[in-house]
Amino acid sequence: MKISMPKKPIFILAVLFLSMAVSCTKEDNTEFTDAAIIEAYLNDGHYFSLSVSRQIPFSDNVTYSSDDINNLSIAINYNGSTHTLTPLGNGQYSDSTIVINQGNVYNLSFTFNNQNVTATTSIPAKPINFQQSVTGITVPPQVESHSGPTGTLPDPVELSWNNPDGSNYFVVIQNMETNPVPITTGATGQSDKTFRTPPTNLTVTEIRPLDFQYYGMHRLILYHVLPDYAALYATGNNSSQNLANPSTAITNGYGIFTGLNSDTLFIDVIHP
Amino acid sequence: MLFSFISNAALAQSDSIQKPFNHKLSGIIKDKGTGEALPFAIIQLKGTTTGVTSNVDGYFSLTNIPADTSTIVVSYPGYSATEIQLKPGQATTDFKIEMLPAAKQLKEVTVSAEREDVMLVDRSNVSMIKMTPKKLEQLPNIGEKDILRAFQLMPGISSSNESSSGLYVRGGTPDQNLVLYDGFTVYHVDHLYGFYSAFNSNALKDVQLYKGGFESKFGGRLSSVTEITGKDGNQNKFNVGADVSLLSFNVFAEVPIGDKFSSIVAFRRSYRGLLYNQIFGMFNATGGTAKAEGGRATTSTTVASFFYDVNGKFTYRPTKKDIISLSIYNGTDKLDNSSAATEQPISGSSSTFSNSSTDLTNYGNIGSSLKWSRRWNDKLYSNTIASYSNYYSDRNNSQTKSITDSLGATNTSSQGIFETNNLQDYSLKSDYQYDLKNNVQLQFGGFGTYYDIQYTYAQNDTVTILNKNNQAYLTGAYLQSKIDLLHNKIHFLPGIRASYFTTTNKMYYEPRASVAYNINDKITLKAATGLYYQFANRVTREDILAGSRDFWLLSGTNDVPVSSAMHYILGAAYENDNYLFSVEGYYKTLSNLTEYSLRFNPQQGSDVSYSENFFTGKGFSRGIEFLVQRKVGKIKGWVSYTLGQAQNLFPVYSTGYFPAAQDVTHEFKTVLLYKYKKWNFSATWVYATGRPYTAPSGAYNVTLLDGSQQSFYTVTAKNGQRLPAYHRADIAVNYSIFAGKKNRREIGYIGVSVFNVYNRTNVWYKQYSITNGQILQTNVNYLGITPNLTLSFKLR
Repeated sequence: MKISMPKKPIFILAVLFLSMAVSCTKEDNTEFTDAAIIEAYLNDGHYFSLSVSRQIPFSDNVTYSSDDINNLSIAINYNGSTHTLTPLGNGQYSDSTIVINQGNVYNLSFTFNNQNVTATTSIPAKPINFQQSVTGITVPPQVESHSGPTGTLPDPVELSWNNPDGSNYFVVIQNMETNPVPITTGATGQSDKTFRTPPTNLTVTEIRPLDFQYYGMHRLILYHVLPDYAALYATGNNSSQNLANPSTAITNGYGIFTGLNSDTLFIDVIHP
Repeated sequence: MLFSFISNAALAQSDSIQKPFNHKLSGIIKDKGTGEALPFAIIQLKGTTTGVTSNVDGYFSLTNIPADTSTIVVSYPGYSATEIQLKPGQATTDFKIEMLPAAKQLKEVTVSAEREDVMLVDRSNVSMIKMTPKKLEQLPNIGEKDILRAFQLMPGISSSNESSSGLYVRGGTPDQNLVLYDGFTVYHVDHLYGFYSAFNSNALKDVQLYKGGFESKFGGRLSSVTEITGKDGNQNKFNVGADVSLLSFNVFAEVPIGDKFSSIVAFRRSYRGLLYNQIFGMFNATGGTAKAEGGRATTSTTVASFFYDVNGKFTYRPTKKDIISLSIYNGTDKLDNSSAATEQPISGSSSTFSNSSTDLTNYGNIGSSLKWSRRWNDKLYSNTIASYSNYYSDRNNSQTKSITDSLGATNTSSQGIFETNNLQDYSLKSDYQYDLKNNVQLQFGGFGTYYDIQYTYAQNDTVTILNKNNQAYLTGAYLQSKIDLLHNKIHFLPGIRASYFTTTNKMYYEPRASVAYNINDKITLKAATGLYYQFANRVTREDILAGSRDFWLLSGTNDVPVSSAMHYILGAAYENDNYLFSVEGYYKTLSNLTEYSLRFNPQQGSDVSYSENFFTGKGFSRGIEFLVQRKVGKIKGWVSYTLGQAQNLFPVYSTGYFPAAQDVTHEFKTVLLYKYKKWNFSATWVYATGRPYTAPSGAYNVTLLDGSQQSFYTVTAKNGQRLPAYHRADIAVNYSIFAGKKNRREIGYIGVSVFNVYNRTNVWYKQYSITNGQILQTNVNYLGITPNLTLSFKLR
């Protein structure tokens, strides 16, 4: 059966559709949004201060907003009054007239990259009944790469507090000496003078003797923190499975804006 | 059986001894060679809009025939359209129509119009495409002729997902497409990363795809239905055949015993032969060239693995009225997507990274159905199916990274994912069709399914993040009616489906309707609407760095609600002897969609409960599809264009709608088929807008209260990025081999096919890993130019 081949309609349609398809593939470049990074710890009894920075883009081809992070107009609102923070340069801002108070709610707002950045937080209660099992601990000197610890180790230091509502606490341990003597000799690197215990919602934590790296007087700071801060540690090992935005208190920005409260005790780590 | 082929319809008109014959003709449509019943064939009165389709077992019943000398036309893809002139005094029940496969069509047999469609768009049915594997080898392939791949050449079905045989129909996801194989639901249709479908075309007889607005008979899915009917096996003679391609070998045998029993068993397995490796390696450098773009180092991963599947179907016809068949399917994949890379980023420190990843997945399906069909009388037909379906998936992905810093110190870290998903579906259903009047057919039935779905997901060592184990019953019934009005000008199909789901303890009612109005025998207007519920969903687990994955979960809990959709479809078609022009617009709203993401922290409580990380949203998709098909002649084929949009709204990601992962704006496809003597040539070209994705965009540090610094990463707007446009051309040539002198028949073919002829690099997805604030980006690409050779032989 012979049939003529009217290919033209198909051909014309093909050309038409093709030109439509090719001409309509423009996309907005939304690869990187210049967003503000806020770091503010609102510690009961301290002056208000915060820092603002930019995120580091993964791509070279990005456009930054013209906003100067050293000269933003940042407003803090609490108890019905609004204050504008004083820029100190290098992204630092403060207001020495604002003393953080337990129970207050603090709201932050400013404009960055044409977006209204806001954040809000409250200040948790001061820890109650913070106690330690001992005020001094004697730790025998250790040698690096020895199998097992040298000498007899004392019991761990037990720290306790009241926590009727199961909120979040953790302890930061700081060596206060200017030139502290290390407990372990023969180590290659230098150990940190500060370490912490994992965040907990229990009423007790403990410090094992070899958690201490140096002899001398140590400060034990018990922080009462909000869930968004505890979440920073929960996502601490940022794995390849997720890219968590740690703070849920900030909109149109990233970082941490969180209230906290603390109490401090001291412990002496003694060379035998 | 008495019937005749006639080439000249005018003869029918000139016949002077017409008698009134205003009642019906019923019977069966079969393949003349194999005796296979042909399901869903279209039987029409010539020159009118009066027509019916045969049922799943090939039976039909055509009413309102005006004269006993009328001519009826039977069409079925892959077969020559057959015209039959009725003769006075002929039997009007048990009328047997035997059709000839198109390839066997010879000059001495007088057959009507020379139509042998690869694909058939049914003008009178809303959003329906029909295909048989008969002519499938004419289309280009990547090693296996594949029925679901072929559907991707039609408008409204996304063709840019080489990695998914599961169909993205009209902005829907593959899990929203119900796949029925001989009556049992298949939950995962992908072989080899989705490059091949789970269905061996040697074992298939017929596939119907409803792109939307589907009838009440089908349920449990939001978007579309793919109804696959397996072959019963040659009923007349023993047959055996084999295909060998550069990808796989494929064998089948058909064994009839007596005239009551027929069977078919088909097996195929992929292999990586020498030639395959050589060709593959030539065009796909593994690991290879690292292209650094400002701190990003790029490497590529090439995929490797194997699969096998086996299909069996055993059919027994104890009486003229009963058919009992057992269908069994098992398919398994073992996938290895491991890669290794060592890169030195441009910006930043002089650290070097080496990264090796293990990615092993085993998955597969086991399914079986036992079907009993009975033709109670000329008016009542029933189908009762007991079925079992199991989908299982086991994934182990662990990564080992080592970083050598500028001081030469090496730091090695390992992470992993352990993911298992096991779905079991036990179903019993019974479907009935009853011819109430000449122009009214009632269809009704009941169904019951017991679901048992388990999913566990562990991250890093052995910390289980998610462990779901749910069981539920879904039971219900449906009633629908096919009504022909205004002298068969209007086909109206209203229906309702009611389901009771034990997880929610609720009834769900789904009213649906479709209508087709044949203005004349060339122009049809169509419309459809309906409400659809889905009780088992494949949830997307968002993973920006390693590529998102899916898993099946039972819906109905607070985390994963029962999802629903509304369809609105309008269309028009013009069809003459040579061309089909079709346009259809659709709008679909989706509610209670679920996605799982670990990107967001719970707001309350210090214990991170990952089960809170299910997020619910809604969405819509809309679009318009154009199709022009040339049906006859030496050059045939079609051109299609789809303008579409699929958007989701999940409040957790953004306040406004964002493009869904399957959103494709423009999709253009063309298929050309040319026949010259024993040679069949074909060429296809597809173009599609790149799909959206989310990428890491930057990093920042937070100084913690203990003085340490913690790095965090930001991402782009949800699906705010687009992959480059996808386009590809494929070509194929087949040489048919005939045997026999008097009774010539095609016994095989030699086919050469080239996939992605101009070696376009199409990106599948991007993988990232972040180490020391540096990002390592890996483009996982689709196949480059891939030639294939197929040898196919069969006894008959």
